[in-house]
Amino acid sequence: MPNRRDVLKAGATAVATTPAIFGGAVVPGLAHAQLCRPEGIRSPGTEPDSPPVSVYTQALYIPPAMAEVDPGDLSPPPDPNRHQRYEDFPPQKHYVQHITEGFWNYHDDYTAMNPNGGSPAWMFNGATPGETMVARYGEPVFVRRYNDLPLAENAQIPFGYPATTLHLHNAHTASESDGYPMDFAMPGEFWDHHYAMMLARNDPREALGSLWYHDHMIDFTATNVYAGLSAMAIFYDDLDTGDENDLNPDALRLPGNLQHGGDDAGNANGYDIPLILHDVRFTQEGHPTYNVFDTDGHLGDVITVNRKVTPFLNVEARKYRFRIYDGGPSRLYELMLSDKSSFHVIATDGNLLEHPVVATSIVIGPANRHDVIIDFSNYSAGQTVNLENVMEQINGQGPSGRRLEGADVMPVMQFRVKQPSGPDYSRVPDFLRELPPINLDEVVAEREWVFDHDMGLWTVNGEFMDPTVVSAAPRQGTAEIWTFRNAGSSWAHPVHVHFEEFQVLEWNGKPPTGVLRSRKDVAVLGPNDTAKVFYRFDDFHGSYVIHCHNNVHEDNAMMLRWDIVPRGGNDHDDDRGRGRGR
Amino acid sequence: MKKSRRTFIASAAATLPLAATAAVAPKSVEDNPAFKTCPRAKGGKNAERFPQTIVQDQHGRKAWFYEELISDKLVLVSFTSVKGEQYYPILSNLVKVQKMLEDRLGKDVFMYTVTTDPHRDTPESLKTLADKYGAKWQFLTGEPESIREILASFNARGSLHALSWIGNEKHGRWLNKPSRLHPLYIAEAVARLSTGKHHKPFLVDMRSV
Repeated sequence: MPNRRDVLKAGATAVATTPAIFGGAVVPGLAHAQLCRPEGIRSPGTEPDSPPVSVYTQALYIPPAMAEVDPGDLSPPPDPNRHQRYEDFPPQKHYVQHITEGFWNYHDDYTAMNPNGGSPAWMFNGATPGETMVARYGEPVFVRRYNDLPLAENAQIPFGYPATTLHLHNAHTASESDGYPMDFAMPGEFWDHHYAMMLARNDPREALGSLWYHDHMIDFTATNVYAGLSAMAIFYDDLDTGDENDLNPDALRLPGNLQHGGDDAGNANGYDIPLILHDVRFTQEGHPTYNVFDTDGHLGDVITVNRKVTPFLNVEARKYRFRIYDGGPSRLYELMLSDKSSFHVIATDGNLLEHPVVATSIVIGPANRHDVIIDFSNYSAGQTVNLENVMEQINGQGPSGRRLEGADVMPVMQFRVKQPSGPDYSRVPDFLRELPPINLDEVVAEREWVFDHDMGLWTVNGEFMDPTVVSAAPRQGTAEIWTFRNAGSSWAHPVHVHFEEFQVLEWNGKPPTGVLRSRKDVAVLGPNDTAKVFYRFDDFHGSYVIHCHNNVHEDNAMMLRWDIVPRGGNDHDDDRGRGRGR
Repeated sequence: MKKSRRTFIASAAATLPLAATAAVAPKSVEDNPAFKTCPRAKGGKNAERFPQTIVQDQHGRKAWFYEELISDKLVLVSFTSVKGEQYYPILSNLVKVQKMLEDRLGKDVFMYTVTTDPHRDTPESLKTLADKYGAKWQFLTGEPESIREILASFNARGSLHALSWIGNEKHGRWLNKPSRLHPLYIAEAVARLSTGKHHKPFLVDMRSV
């Protein structure tokens, strides 16, 4: 079997001598002319490489938890009329975020190249990722987000657009707080988000744990998120309490001490740590760079974790829970430890599995999350182990199908093991959370969503994003079967639906096993894949979206609006009759 | 105006793996037979992403594509051909956009349609096509190799290409819309990317609250 190097070598020879990629045998002189492109044949692989920098030398940034504000200081005060069911879920925690442009230290070497003391970035309260939204079910949250970005003509970030709408992926959130792509705030405006922190259908089996918030601006999601507008959220509940020493016998006691954040030397405050991956490409000046004209997708050539280039983290020789996020925009990863040791996968897309799955690698696509428990007690103090990406991707469409080997393996981050500071009472329970039952008798409709590419357009059911077109209108209190189909034979589409989690009924005709037997909100469709899933729609109504979470495809209109219509109503009801108040 | 020539630094995907550790010193494209150094546009925010090529409009007027038509302007660029219009018509929709932008067209907003069929489409045939729809903007053809480079810079691969690009090189931000999207949302994208007095975040406020 040829290894990757042989394949590449053959590919290089082919390109250099016989440009069959342009339709067959052509004389060398003509081939030469055909190959004349801006920057050669322009693809993510032929964008200039990032300047080389050292790996595993930067301390991991761990965002602190959001800090509460006094609701009396909010001016104007929250307007209950702007929100569905505000009275049912009066906020108990209030937060304010200012979205600004500034300079971020991705890596000391990039900062040194940059006269501004950092690389340009769009940030929440001066950092990217923004503070982690740590919340508990039953404690409603109110977040006011000010868009304090400069106008487009004054922004240092050369891509993206400085209007923002924040999606809390994938909380059970009323439409007007969900970061709908048209619900954006311009520079100088703010947007209020009310998070009811309610369990869908008041069912404790519907809890999510690992969520994230990111920009969802129409046409500019990929670039705005790439510029820095992403961050994590952690929800706790009576089972997954976040406290490994919880005295409640029902608590899972997963690794975690309810401490978030860390120091500048790579030490975490706690044992429950979110890690968001973004692949970034930097200019010779240390600025993030982005080719907006490549509609296949964007690939960076260095991996950042929590917006630090290939960082390190000091870990005690004990168990840790890592919430691993693929922040996109386009790269899929297969992540494994450098010594190939196994770990426990306990959750997918924020939802605890019924049983932990032992794995030596995880595959994640854009917006996927996996919670894993890594036990470093198998290592002695002073040892290191690295997290690496072995999935090859040479363009934004999807993985090549080959695995990276040897020196081609992409470094992600390093764990440096130190002595434990105390006993580890955390557990990896055999049973985590029961899945809610699937009752097919409740199903009132079946819908198919076909993801395709035609004439340069990324389409869903042959259509593209038009905010006046409602492509589906399920009714509150009903269940439906949705089928996601990838009509492409060479690309991947991570399909994401807002508001509700789904359960897989069939994947390519087979019942789900392992990590797929779970609740999810991103179905990463490989070429020609079909996933049939079960949905219920409850608790709120209004406009939501279904889209490809390869954000570049999404910005190329691979997104449709769908609405939840109120229980018992007859027609589409989008008029909540509320004042604007901006 | 003279053609400018620059040596561009690029690494070859075919020969260099995409690993951070392998971020070796960039090679000159001239070292690699798979790459040819193109004359490149100059001046605007995204100049380096466009080739230095000459185009000709339906009135026979010639221009440097990027430097004269794009570099400091707010533009709407679409793609079709005389033949392509028979299979996937976009012009009837774009003339509705033209109507919405009427006061600004040719002053601070410029519309262009680049032919996807430069072998066949002449200025004369494009004029017939434009006149048929009442399209007053510029329809561009030229040497097939030049047009091919322009199409490549927009990632337009086929003879039918249904995306239009809206860009403002004053601030360098671009987005694309399906050419057959409701004309209001194409015009709205132009308004959103406008600077100064013509800037509008939306033409119809669709915000939910």
